Amino acid sequence: MIRTLTGLIIVLVLGAVAAAVIPEMQMREELQGVGYSYVSRGMDDTGSSNLVTAVIVAYRGLDTLGEVVVLFCASTAVVLILTLYPIGIKASEPSRVVAFTAKVLPAPILLFGVYFIAHSHISPGGGFPGGTVIASVFLLVMLGSSSVPDGRGRLPAIESLAGLSFGLLGFWGIMTVGQFLNNAFLGTGTPGTIVSGGLIPLISIAIGAKVASEFSGVFKAFRNTGGTV
Amino acid sequence: MSTAFYWSIAGTAAGLVLVGLWGILTRKHILRIALAFTLADTGVNLLLVWSGYLPGRTAPIVDGTISASGITSAVVDPLPQAMVLTSIVIGVAVAALFVVVGVLASRRTGSADVRRMKELRW
Repeated sequence: MIRTLTGLIIVLVLGAVAAAVIPEMQMREELQGVGYSYVSRGMDDTGSSNLVTAVIVAYRGLDTLGEVVVLFCASTAVVLILTLYPIGIKASEPSRVVAFTAKVLPAPILLFGVYFIAHSHISPGGGFPGGTVIASVFLLVMLGSSSVPDGRGRLPAIESLAGLSFGLLGFWGIMTVGQFLNNAFLGTGTPGTIVSGGLIPLISIAIGAKVASEFSGVFKAFRNTGGTV
Repeated sequence: MSTAFYWSIAGTAAGLVLVGLWGILTRKHILRIALAFTLADTGVNLLLVWSGYLPGRTAPIVDGTISASGITSAVVDPLPQAMVLTSIVIGVAVAALFVVVGVLASRRTGSADVRRMKELRW
């Protein structure tokens, strides 16, 4: 009762605050400030026709590196906890529908994920969503079999390699033009073609590989019944 | 997109945050609290994307329909969309940690009811 009442009061107060504040955010008609310069200069600066990717990977590349680190910390914590205290979700025999789906769908979904990553600079997509799509293939395959796949330590190896290459791509900029994560020193190419956008495709691949292996490792850790992941 | 639709999205976003908060404060099953948390998370993301909307414009991706010269009057703000990607990824990471800790806590107490977890009582 007290719990419900307290919750109600807190939600009502915050609802009143939201109702007062949100109408103050009037609809803008024009781009302003940093958003304007990203849109007006983005394609010339980075060679990427997807301006969201240009912001994520080129302009705010350092923030994305930090984001990758946050994701790494969280997934490491999950895997560590599940290794110390295995939940060991029992792998029951999959139904015929799931088993069949797990045989047919992985290849097209994998292709879609790779497309997502490889075309991050010219169409909607990017390393994070593409990596998640690829990790979902891993989950599907795992659901379609009653055993836990044996990665023989390859997942952490891919993850480390991908994280390392993101950092090294950043240092490559320091070596050549003296700027960390500089995007344009290789030339930016013709926007809209697959080989364009400077370092963006390479960084997207690194992010995609890292996210895919991280999430796969987390999925696998939930099935862990003891022993190493 | 009409003005009514524009404001209804802001209302949906604020509603999701409030419903999620309500769930976090009042639910008793630990996984329901985790679900409520992700609801609130979704509301915040929706509000961020909404704040970058400009009327009558398209996604900030240059293709055949947008000329490079008139681009600043053709696309919405890419910055909130890029920030939301960060927010989504962090949200997933926090949700995964939430679920794992929740499952372990329910193993320890033998129940997923937060009232039986002495450390969480308030």
